[in-house]
Amino acid sequence: MKVTNEKVDAIVVGSGAAGSSIAAKLAVGGKQVVILEAGPERGNDDLISSGIWARRLKWAGSPVVEDGDNPVGHAFNAGYGVGGSAMHHYAVWPRLHEEDFQSRSLYDEGVDWPISYEDLQPYYDTVQEECGISGDAEQEIWRPPGDPYPMPGVPLFTQGEILARGFEKLGMATAPLPLAITSTEYKGRAPCIWDGWCDSGCPIGALANPLTIHLPIALQAGAILATRSTVTRILLDESGEYVTGVEYATQTGDKKRLMADLVVLAAFSVQNPRLLLASASDQHPYGLANSSGTVGQSIMTHPAALVYGLFEEQTQCYMGAFGGQLVNQDSYAKNTHAASGAFGSYQWMIANAVKPNDLLGISNTRPDLFGNDLHEFMKNSAPHFASMTGVVEDLPVAENTVSLSDQLDACGTPLAKVTHTTHAKSKALWQAALTEGKAIFEAAGAKEVWTGPQAGMHIIGGTVMGNDPHSSVTNSYGQCHDVANLIIAGSGLFPSSAGVNPTYTIHALTARSGDYLLANWNSIIS
Amino acid sequence: MAQTRRRFLRNAGIGLLTFYVSGCEVELTPQEAREREIAHRILSDFEVSTLNALGEILLPGSAMAGLSHFVDHQLGASPEDCLLMLRYLGVATPFAPFYQGGLAALNDFSQIEAKRTFADLNPSDQTGIVEQFSQANPDGWQGPPGPFFYFVLRNDAVDVVYGTKKGVESLGIPYMAHIEPPVGWNG
Repeated sequence: MKVTNEKVDAIVVGSGAAGSSIAAKLAVGGKQVVILEAGPERGNDDLISSGIWARRLKWAGSPVVEDGDNPVGHAFNAGYGVGGSAMHHYAVWPRLHEEDFQSRSLYDEGVDWPISYEDLQPYYDTVQEECGISGDAEQEIWRPPGDPYPMPGVPLFTQGEILARGFEKLGMATAPLPLAITSTEYKGRAPCIWDGWCDSGCPIGALANPLTIHLPIALQAGAILATRSTVTRILLDESGEYVTGVEYATQTGDKKRLMADLVVLAAFSVQNPRLLLASASDQHPYGLANSSGTVGQSIMTHPAALVYGLFEEQTQCYMGAFGGQLVNQDSYAKNTHAASGAFGSYQWMIANAVKPNDLLGISNTRPDLFGNDLHEFMKNSAPHFASMTGVVEDLPVAENTVSLSDQLDACGTPLAKVTHTTHAKSKALWQAALTEGKAIFEAAGAKEVWTGPQAGMHIIGGTVMGNDPHSSVTNSYGQCHDVANLIIAGSGLFPSSAGVNPTYTIHALTARSGDYLLANWNSIIS
Repeated sequence: MAQTRRRFLRNAGIGLLTFYVSGCEVELTPQEAREREIAHRILSDFEVSTLNALGEILLPGSAMAGLSHFVDHQLGASPEDCLLMLRYLGVATPFAPFYQGGLAALNDFSQIEAKRTFADLNPSDQTGIVEQFSQANPDGWQGPPGPFFYFVLRNDAVDVVYGTKKGVESLGIPYMAHIEPPVGWNG
C-alpha cells in the first residue's frame, strides 16, 4: 500500500509504548491501521551494548526549547525512531496506588483522575500477563490489589544485598523491583542475562519494549508502519468537529496527506500538545481540542533523587537491570514528609546497574573530578560503587507548559517550548528523599555517601484527561472533548505524576482506551 | 565516494570511523586515526591541539585514545547519527559551533591569564585554567558557559577512555555485552 492520499480506519502518530499498543489493539480488532513514525526504523540488531551507541535511541527530531528552573530534559527522556522512548526505558513497572487517583479529594493537593484504581486494575492485570512482569506481590507490601506477577522476582546481586541491609537496619522493607523483564522464559522470550545494558535497548526480547511486544502483534494483524513520516498537522472536516486525517512530511520534506476515520496521537507528552497547538484553525483558534485552554498545561517530570556510595565489598554494580533490583515504597503515603513542607509520594529503585561512562555513569556522579583524580576515582569506585534512585512525585502546576516557540522547524512547524519549574512541595519532597537515602546508605555501611543534582525523569502531562471539558483535554479514554474521533494516548494524559514510573500505567490506560474505541467505533467516527 | 548512512552507523557503532587515505576508504579506530595522523574534517589544527591539550588535563590518556578524531568525526555526522553526549544536553544543532566557540573562549582566556594559548601552557597552568572555568564563567569568558563546556568535554574524554570494552575492563569489571562492539573506541 502506498501511504499517501488514501483513507484508512486509523492513523497512529508515534510507535512508542502507547502508539504500538493502541495500534496492536485496533489492528487485532480488525481495523486498518497506519502508524506514522517520525524517526528511523529500528531492529534488534541495532541495539549494540554501549553507552555511546545508546545515544542514537534518544530524541533527534525537531529541537525542543527548554525553559524554567528545572527543565524536563526532553532530549534525554524522549526517544527517536521505532519504539520511541520505550526502546531505552528501564522497564520498571509498578502500579499507581489508589490514593494517586484521588489526591485532590483526599488531601486538597494535586488533581484527581477521572477514574479510580478499580477502573484500571483489570487492565493492569491484563497487560501484566501480556507483557510479562517479574516481581513478588506478597513481598511488595505496598502494592495495590492485583493478580500475582507471572514471573518470579528478579535475582539479587551483591549491590542489592548490601543496600537491602541499610533498609533493614532502619526498619524499612524491600521487595524485588517489579520489572517488565523476563526472570524466566516467558511466552517464548528468553530470560534476561542481567548484564545491565537496558539503556542501550534490549536485543534479546527479555525487556518488554515495542519491538518485542506490540509492534509484532500490530504488524501481523495488518498494521502498516511508515518511518521517516513526521506529522505536521491534523486535518479537520468543514464543521471542525471531526478529524479527517493528517498532513505529514517525508524524509525528503515532501508533504503528504493520509486520511482516516480516527487519529490517535501517541507522540509523547511534548509533541502531542505541540501538534494540537500547531493545528489551530478558524474553528479552533487556540489550538485543536483546546477550548479549555489547557492543552500544554501541567507538564511534569519526576525529580530524580540520586544517592551514591562506596562500600568495602565488591558490589558488582555493573550487573542486574538499569532500573534496579529492589523497591521500597515506605514513603508513598502523600503526607509522610509533611513536616518538611513536602507533599507527594516517592519510591526507591534500589541497586541500579551502572556503567563507567555516559550521563548516568559512575564518572558523572563526581563531575567535579578531573585529571588523575578522576582516574583514581574511577579505579577505586567501579568495583565498589552502589546507587539508588528516588522517583519523586512532581505536583502539577498549570504554568508548567508546552507552548509554541517563535522558531520553526524544517517542515515549517513551530518548535515546542517546554517550561518547567518544580513545585516547592515537590522540591521539599525530593530533598527529604535525599536525606533519607543518605541515612540508608550509611546504615548499609557505606564508607562514603554523596548525592546527585535534581534531574528530570519521565515527561508527563500536557494533555490531561478529566471529566470536565472546561479543565481537561480528553475524557478518561483519551478521547478529546472537542473532537470525538481524535484520541490521545500516553503519559500526557496523566493528571498527576504519582511517585512511580509511568510506562505500565501508559499500557493499562491504552488498553482501556482500545477496548472503548473498538466497542464504540461507529458512534465515535460519525 | 560519499559514506552511506548505514555504513556510518555500522562502523561508528563498533568503534570504527571511516576515513579516506590516498583516495581509498579505510576504517580506523580513533586511536589508529590519530597514530596515522589522519586529517580532521571539521576542526582546525589549532582547535585540535587545544582540544587534545584540554583532554589530557581532563583525563590523561584521552588524547592518545583519539579524542580529537572521535569528536571531529561525530561533528560531521547528522544530528540523529551523532554519538556525542551533547546531543541530549539541550544544545541546538549543529554542534560544531559549540566546540569551536568553547575552544576559542578557552584560548582567549588563556591569553588573558597567561599570555599564551592553552596548548602552550605547562600542565600546572592548564590545570589552573580548567579549575577556573569549570566552576563559573571567568571574567571575559566568551563562549558556551564554562562549567557546561567543561562538563561536555570531560564526558567526551571519559567516552574514549572508559566507554569502550577495553576501558571498562581496565577498571576491573567485565563489559558483558549482549551485542558486543568488536572493536573498542581506543582499539
